[in-house]
Amino acid sequence: MVEDSEIISVVNEQGKVIELLSVNEWVANVDSGVKSGKGVVVTPADDVGLLQESLHKIPLIALDFVSFDDGRGYSQATLIRKRWSYSGEIRGINAHLDQLQFMLRSGVNTYDLQEQYQGSNEHDYTHGFSICYQVAANNADMKEKF
Amino acid sequence: MYQYNADDTAFLVERVDQFEKQLKRYLAGDLDALKFRSLRLRNGLYMELHAHMLRVAIPYGILNTEQLRALADVADKYDRGFGHFTTRQNIQYNWIELPEIANLLRDLSAVGLHAIQTSGKAMRNITADPFSGLTEDEVEDARPYCELVRRWFNIHPEFSWLPSKFKMAINGAKLDETALQIHDLGLKIVKNDAGELGFASYVGGGLGAAPMVGPEIHPFVPVEDILSYLESVLRIYNLKGRRDNLKRLRIKFLVREHGAAEFAKMVDEDWQHGKDDPELKLNMEELAKLKQDFALPVKPLDLGDFKDTLDINYSIWKTNNVRAHKIAGYSVVNISLTQLGTAPGDATSGQMRMIADLADKYSNSELRTTKRQNLVFPYVRKDQVHALWQDLDKSDLASPHHGTLAHVVACPGADYCDLAKAVSIPIAQQVQQRFDDMDKLYDIGPININISGCENSCGHHHIADIGLLGLKKNEQEFYQITLAGETLQETIIGRKLGRSIAGAEVVDAIEDIVNIYLENREEGENFVDAFKRIGIAPFKEKVYG
Ligand code: HEM
Ligand code: SF4
Repeated sequence: MVEDSEIISVVNEQGKVIELLSVNEWVANVDSGVKSGKGVVVTPADDVGLLQESLHKIPLIALDFVSFDDGRGYSQATLIRKRWSYSGEIRGINAHLDQLQFMLRSGVNTYDLQEQYQGSNEHDYTHGFSICYQVAANNADMKEKF
Repeated sequence: MYQYNADDTAFLVERVDQFEKQLKRYLAGDLDALKFRSLRLRNGLYMELHAHMLRVAIPYGILNTEQLRALADVADKYDRGFGHFTTRQNIQYNWIELPEIANLLRDLSAVGLHAIQTSGKAMRNITADPFSGLTEDEVEDARPYCELVRRWFNIHPEFSWLPSKFKMAINGAKLDETALQIHDLGLKIVKNDAGELGFASYVGGGLGAAPMVGPEIHPFVPVEDILSYLESVLRIYNLKGRRDNLKRLRIKFLVREHGAAEFAKMVDEDWQHGKDDPELKLNMEELAKLKQDFALPVKPLDLGDFKDTLDINYSIWKTNNVRAHKIAGYSVVNISLTQLGTAPGDATSGQMRMIADLADKYSNSELRTTKRQNLVFPYVRKDQVHALWQDLDKSDLASPHHGTLAHVVACPGADYCDLAKAVSIPIAQQVQQRFDDMDKLYDIGPININISGCENSCGHHHIADIGLLGLKKNEQEFYQITLAGETLQETIIGRKLGRSIAGAEVVDAIEDIVNIYLENREEGENFVDAFKRIGIAPFKEKVYG
């Protein structure tokens, strides 16, 4: 069973409010979705393969990292960004500070944190590692060792 | 010997620095317990009954003497002066203080050791045959491949938050010392008809409450395609593995749910997209370099007409502790850490330093750890084995029990582990007390006894000749006995003997089982073969009759 995300809209990189459709809603209404500039929100249990056909028409894809230990979003991001070469905005929603570098390397390019922490520096977690041992959607700023 | 370079060490330090920040946030209440749990486990840290346990990786079971001394220093500085060598090429410290962890890990990073992914829901450290490179009829030394795969999955951005842990083994020898079919993913190095190297892959093995022998999922993955293949297996697992049922998290349940053929098809479909991606091809230059780094450091030796010393105690010890070496003039020597009356696999810091000194003197400063919780000296000159034995004997390390039934493998059990249903180590000690006659032990021969204190099966009881699983019934400790598990030639899960047996009677039952074997075996027949011939009935009758 796929549960809907609680998040129904995000503000994109350009500062514009983008309303989000679920994967099923989008697939059933691609044309009207494109016309009204809607984005898509993907939950961990969603099959992103359903988006492949209309992928490049989607203005923004929000991946919901709702649960810390549920790592499906990293594979979803990799498929969308790396395998299918999506060039639009991939937003990580409900993102977790301690996983930011994993998320960004998988192809997410903007994010909204689920929780803010007082005593911590975001940069430590977006750039904690300067060396990497594997290909990923985005290895910018890293020394690649493979 | 292979060693980490400056980048690898810098990476280890970055890892420690990040973990230290997370630990501080947790202690300051700025990171919730659940997230911290996930983060600390992937850094090897368990929070246990009485104290905190840290699991440090010993990749492929290889240690140089500098590393062993560092492990001894850690035992003194941060623990109570000892460490526990496990069945899976790790060492565990049981009494670590939280605020000290980062310093401990920094000390280790200086010698290329770490605790990364020794626990948690990610790719664990990859196991290889501890005799890799030393055995005559090996297809290929597995270690360079293990190292390339390990690096690739080191903090992999896509596969670090899997449904459960993921354990891998790679075997390049004819006999399977790694037990690869009880791993989430096992790779066997094989040659195809054209003589090219590749891997047969087995997915979905595992022990625990639902033991399963991993089925073959692909007969031949070419060497250069192994990373894209593994990515596909992990992607299918990451996306489709059960996350809703805590008892069904491991990949074996996914494989079982779909069946091996269907699972293989799912992997293959994904693999078609990655197979030809040049970025995912194995770096063959790096492989060639690693092969050099792992190459044996010794050349054949002409010892003329060397005759070994004749001495009865020496000969007894030699029977079970010295193995043939691929290189002329050398032997492989086993050092048994299982002393009568101590916990299996435990070594004091003093013993570690002493063994390090001996390895400097006799074994090219290198040693290995095995799944029977021993240390191995891989490069001992044949004409120095006797001198080594004398040195070991002086330090009480020439126990002749290795390879006999008195050498029991046991998990920490209820003495150290809060998941335990029953004790393990005290049962191992009772077995050793019961069978304390060396002549009898040599007559019985190499029977393996393995004990796990609960269904998590850390003591590998399913694949032992005699396996004991701790249970609790009405607050009393009981043991489920299994017989004739094996992995070397083929992988077979041990058969249940019958209803479980109370702790006070379990050593009697073991003695009964051994006696049935002795009464029935044919000349030179081992336990598993005798069991296959006579079946379980005579054992049942004797124990329950
Ligand atoms: C006291 C500390 C320990 C704790 C809390 C612990 C916990 C666990 C748990 C929960 C599992 C099952 C995971 C699962 O199946 O999903 C497991 C499996 C395992 N543990 Fe431990 N363990 C401990 C010590 C050890 C030691 C000392 C060894 C080696 C001697 C070890 C070796 C293993 C192995 C090989 C498995 C895998 C069995 C399989 O294939 O299913 N563990 N452990
Ligand atoms: S088998 Fe059970 S009791 Fe033994 S160490 Fe593993 S979890 Fe603990």
